[in-house]
Amino acid sequence: MHLSDPSHNRSIIPVEDLNDLYENAPCGYLSLLPDARIAKANRTLATWLEYEPAELPGKLMTDLLSMAGRIFFETHVRPLLRMQGFFNEFAIDMMTKTGNRIPVLANAVERRDEAGGALFTRLTIFRAIDRRRFERELLNARAAAEAARQQSEQLRVLTEASLKAERETAELREQFIAVLGHDLRNPLASLSAGARMMLKVKSPEEAVKFEAMMQNSVARMAKLIDSVMDFARGRLGGGLTLGERVFQALEPVLDQVVAELASAHPERAIETHFELGTPVYCDAPRIAQLFSNLLGNAISHGAPDAPIRVEGQVRNQSFQLSVANAGQPISEKAMERLFQPFYRGEVRPAQQGLGLGLYIASEIAKAHGGTLAVTSVQDETRFTFRMPLAPPVL
Amino acid sequence: MSVAKRNNVQVRGSGPRAMVFAHGFGCDQNMWRFVAPEFERDYRTVLFDHVGAGHSDLNAYDPVKYASLQGYADDLLEIGRELRLENAVFVGHSVSAMIGALASLQHPAMFESLIMVGPSPRYIDDDTYKGGFSAQQIEELLSFLEENYMGWSAQMAPMIMGNPDRPELGEELTNSFCRTDPEIARAFARVTFMSDNRADLPRVSARTLVLQCREDVIACQQVGEYVHKHIPRSELVLLNATGHCPNLSAPDEVVAAIRAFV
Repeated sequence: MHLSDPSHNRSIIPVEDLNDLYENAPCGYLSLLPDARIAKANRTLATWLEYEPAELPGKLMTDLLSMAGRIFFETHVRPLLRMQGFFNEFAIDMMTKTGNRIPVLANAVERRDEAGGALFTRLTIFRAIDRRRFERELLNARAAAEAARQQSEQLRVLTEASLKAERETAELREQFIAVLGHDLRNPLASLSAGARMMLKVKSPEEAVKFEAMMQNSVARMAKLIDSVMDFARGRLGGGLTLGERVFQALEPVLDQVVAELASAHPERAIETHFELGTPVYCDAPRIAQLFSNLLGNAISHGAPDAPIRVEGQVRNQSFQLSVANAGQPISEKAMERLFQPFYRGEVRPAQQGLGLGLYIASEIAKAHGGTLAVTSVQDETRFTFRMPLAPPVL
Repeated sequence: MSVAKRNNVQVRGSGPRAMVFAHGFGCDQNMWRFVAPEFERDYRTVLFDHVGAGHSDLNAYDPVKYASLQGYADDLLEIGRELRLENAVFVGHSVSAMIGALASLQHPAMFESLIMVGPSPRYIDDDTYKGGFSAQQIEELLSFLEENYMGWSAQMAPMIMGNPDRPELGEELTNSFCRTDPEIARAFARVTFMSDNRADLPRVSARTLVLQCREDVIACQQVGEYVHKHIPRSELVLLNATGHCPNLSAPDEVVAAIRAFV
């Protein structure tokens, strides 16, 4: 071996055939005229696109592109080539003669004359089927990751919210037990006092007076126990149950409730306005209970110097009953929990109750296929109960 | 944020009247680089980038506002009011032709004449109208833009390469042309190709010039004729240029047609 002999090397390196390099290069070559018509294309590209090489010159570049590719070519590739003379590494979809799509990557450069006018645009084109598939998978993975992140975020928010609600309910339940104990102890103490007094009565009149006081305490305790039972049934047994429902004229029922509360609170003015000609299909004692809870609330929470306004009417096949009182509006925060069990608002020391009144009222409304809603603005808080006149036709 | 900064407004030239140039989908005010300078001697030329394109303020992009062409028309009106434009000439390419029409409907005194380069009031065909695309093809375009994310990113990257053929462009190249945020470009494509302004055309009162290219795959000749037929005081000029961007491929022809009209 005479490595230093140049003639030796020359003899084993074949001369590159530039025409063959052009035609059969491992990439596509394409030359476009300024009007984007094809001037020349190599055999490699023609083969990829399923054309005979001679078929391509004269066609428009856009004829070889997918619809999206055409728009991209016209709105991005051509303008950029004119402005900066080149555009590298752009992805575009080409179409074969038989309508198959080939994703490609291309570089393009504009060949210009002395005055800057375009002579040719030259493109080198690489098939990018695997690359584009990979890119698509990357995009899908990115979208999936984003979706998973959002889902876990949603889950976190939900978990936090339900945890918070659970914690608040537990707190309220503890309060409830304390209040129940406290509220039962009062009438119990007065019963015990009444029993002791009975031993010392001097006349039957006195006995009647003590008996009435004791009955009053018993009634209060019975009411508390009823509320607890209603709550337990509502919570544990899939909703509050109603007794027998019949078509009932409600005006006397409501009048009775007003009379009871008015006699217990003679200092408060209650204005009523009833238009209740048509009977309503309902469990009347439950409706009375609902009304009594609403009216009782209005008396405890409303401004003492302003009248409570009660309106009841039958209109458009529905029965509507509203109780409005003046005074401080209910805070937005309180609104959220108003109809939940054990909620007692900002209770003043003198006020009693288990925080079940509105919960039970709304359960009664639901059991009648109705709704209980509240609006509270400066100067007026109004609870409105609505229910259909007749049972739904099955 | 001033309107001038938001839309990268560039005012040049001098003259009693103003000529406003608006770019279409895919590029920025560079689209007018071979046309606008020709009018600087006789007109105050106003160029700007739609929000999301070129050197506009990307933070000003509001997906709700720009979910319809009206959002872009409102920007144009704001630019016009800021510059106290009256009896100006509006030159809009592609989708901006319709943006100009919307602005002119709202404020007819601002533009005495409208020049529409490759306009289309509706890209999608229906029973009686041929816009050039089926709804499916437009969906294909939008998903192509989605899939071509990598391509968009590459386009976003600054192109710092020199240009031996045109050294005078060297400095500008460091900023690259037609930069678009890919997300915004996708949204703009949707607004553009889903738009339907056919009903607005008969209400356009400004005198209007429609410049139509040959072999334009985006706004074909039939569409240009439709625009001419439905805008009352309009003229149609068929250019020799091919494609969708005669402002770049045949600026001389475009300049001559505008001059002849104004």
